[in-house]
Amino acid sequence: MGGMASGDPLVLGIETSCDETGVALVRGNELLVDATASSMDEHARYGGIIPEVASRAHLEAMIPTIGKALGQADVDLSEVDAIAVTAGPGLVGPLTIGTSAAKALAVGLNKPLYGVNHVIGHAAVDQLVDGEFPERVMALVVSGGHSSLLLVDDVATKVTELGSTLDDAAGEAFDKVGRLLGLPYPGGPHIDRLAREGDPEAIRFPRGLTAAKDQEKHAYDFSFSGLKTAVARWVESCRDSGREVPVGDVAASFAAAVVDVLTAKTIAACRRHEVETLVVGGGFSANSQLRELAAKRCAEAGIDLRIPPIRYCTDNGAMIAALGSAVVRAGVAPSSLDFGVDSQMPLTTVSL
Amino acid sequence: MAVLSIDTSAAVAVAVVSETGERLAARSVDERRRHAESLAPLVTAVLADAGTDRTALTAVVAGTGPAPFTGLRAGLVTARTLALALGVPVLGVPSLDALAVQAVADLGLAPDDEVLVAADARRKEVYWARYRVVSHESTHGVPVVEAVAGPDVAKAADVAAGLAERPSAGRLAVVGEGASLYADVLDLDEDAPLLPDPAVLARVALQRRDAGQELPTEPLYLRRPDVHVPAGGPRVVPATGAVAG
Ligand SMILES: Nc1ncnc2c1ncn2[C@@H]1O[C@H](COP(=O)(O)OP(=O)(O)OP(=O)(O)O)[C@@H](O)[C@H]1O
Ligand SMILES: [Mg+2]
Repeated sequence: MGGMASGDPLVLGIETSCDETGVALVRGNELLVDATASSMDEHARYGGIIPEVASRAHLEAMIPTIGKALGQADVDLSEVDAIAVTAGPGLVGPLTIGTSAAKALAVGLNKPLYGVNHVIGHAAVDQLVDGEFPERVMALVVSGGHSSLLLVDDVATKVTELGSTLDDAAGEAFDKVGRLLGLPYPGGPHIDRLAREGDPEAIRFPRGLTAAKDQEKHAYDFSFSGLKTAVARWVESCRDSGREVPVGDVAASFAAAVVDVLTAKTIAACRRHEVETLVVGGGFSANSQLRELAAKRCAEAGIDLRIPPIRYCTDNGAMIAALGSAVVRAGVAPSSLDFGVDSQMPLTTVSL
Repeated sequence: MAVLSIDTSAAVAVAVVSETGERLAARSVDERRRHAESLAPLVTAVLADAGTDRTALTAVVAGTGPAPFTGLRAGLVTARTLALALGVPVLGVPSLDALAVQAVADLGLAPDDEVLVAADARRKEVYWARYRVVSHESTHGVPVVEAVAGPDVAKAADVAAGLAERPSAGRLAVVGEGASLYADVLDLDEDAPLLPDPAVLARVALQRRDAGQELPTEPLYLRRPDVHVPAGGPRVVPATGAVAG
């Protein structure tokens, strides 16, 4: 594949914002390889990501993962035209490993370097699956750390943040409810599974920031912490009264509340901004309740829904290589070698 | 034909030396919290200073600490990845070893003299190791030292107490920034080297490589990760179910 005739530059992408070490090669919108190593097993017993444990694992995994990607694609480093790397947002220690490695590749190969935004990468990765974005798309990025609604005029150069969560991200809310139901970490996928067996209308949980008074300031923002508390109270009083907790119904009703708000606000934003394509990305887009409701509501609203397969939704090098490829093709200037990681990188900054 | 050497155990320090160990260029910036920002530009600058093209490098040397984690890792992943990109070997040498070797030359130590090296480990502790001088000079103009205790991490006062318990047969030199920080308990030598010199680090690497030694680039962390286990955390009601906690 390495010698494929194509005018587009070959971009190597590196992702290390959290617990996955990802390295991928993308040419245009074609993914040549996506290699990942994860330290999740080392964190699971702590019930959360331990930054120092993740950083140590990234250092160990970096060279093997680059080697694996090159080997599987049968590409020599000398064929790489540009390097892209997650500059933020994310955990400082882990980000530092990826950016240091990327800078070293840029120096060693004498190729341009692009420090790019992880969250926008979660949207850009869809181009590898469903092709180049149309003129304007709406992107809903939902993950363990983010729940953001982005108006994407050009994924390489012009992204506007319409709203985001004021407290917990969707995945985080699932994980917290998972914990209070006594499920293993991360709880998100377990809630998803349990919810499929329960009744989503059994309990009416609150929909955050949907009241009329919130429409002005927070039309496209989310809030899930009140919902989490409501679930906790409900479960608590159920236990206090000696009843067995109907875990399936709780999970289903909770999930329904989360995805109702996510999809309703997103579709309202699409209408308001006259956008006909919605891209959903981030690890939480693996959630089956979200996929179902988004498909239903987008069909009703005449919106073209793009959700890449689950393996593209979690953190990986492909999303960074995809965004890097878009940025390079747009002719954006490379990042300077002295850029620092930005754990709070604004979602309007595509590349540094 | 030249070798690039990187040490991020304290400041950000980079050197280019010839295959025989001659210093061609060196630069450092005393940044203790911005290693990842400073390092790559420093590498390109030092290569330019030396008039060396990156493709003329035959090896990359890295200081393996012990050192504060984030800066140390920035140096190690940079060295490893640069070596991969250039298709050359990467050679690791403990940063404390370089300081011990510097001490032999700087302080005129003789065989069987000893050196205590102490580096800043933050949290009111030092990284330390104790060395015996084996020979004053060998190939690449490098004195040979052998670690007799450490590396480890401890309070300076405890390191000093250890020294008192096991005095040296010959002279005992105390060097390194860790000793200067805690000069009240550690008896820092006058004119002692304080920070690792990446050119010396490179010479030690070349000498050890030529002697057939393995030179791994595993970081010397010496401390376990800080693990904060959420104690119940946001759990509002007690967990039931199969997997609690
Ligand atoms: N099927 C699912 N249902 C619900 N939540 C899920 C599902 N699969 C994954 N998640 C949740 O998605 C989150 C992981 O997503 P991802 O890996 O993208 O997040 P992250 O990388 O930690 O955050 P960020 O990308 O914001 O830095 C976790 O909170 C996890 O519980
Ligand atoms: Mg992510």
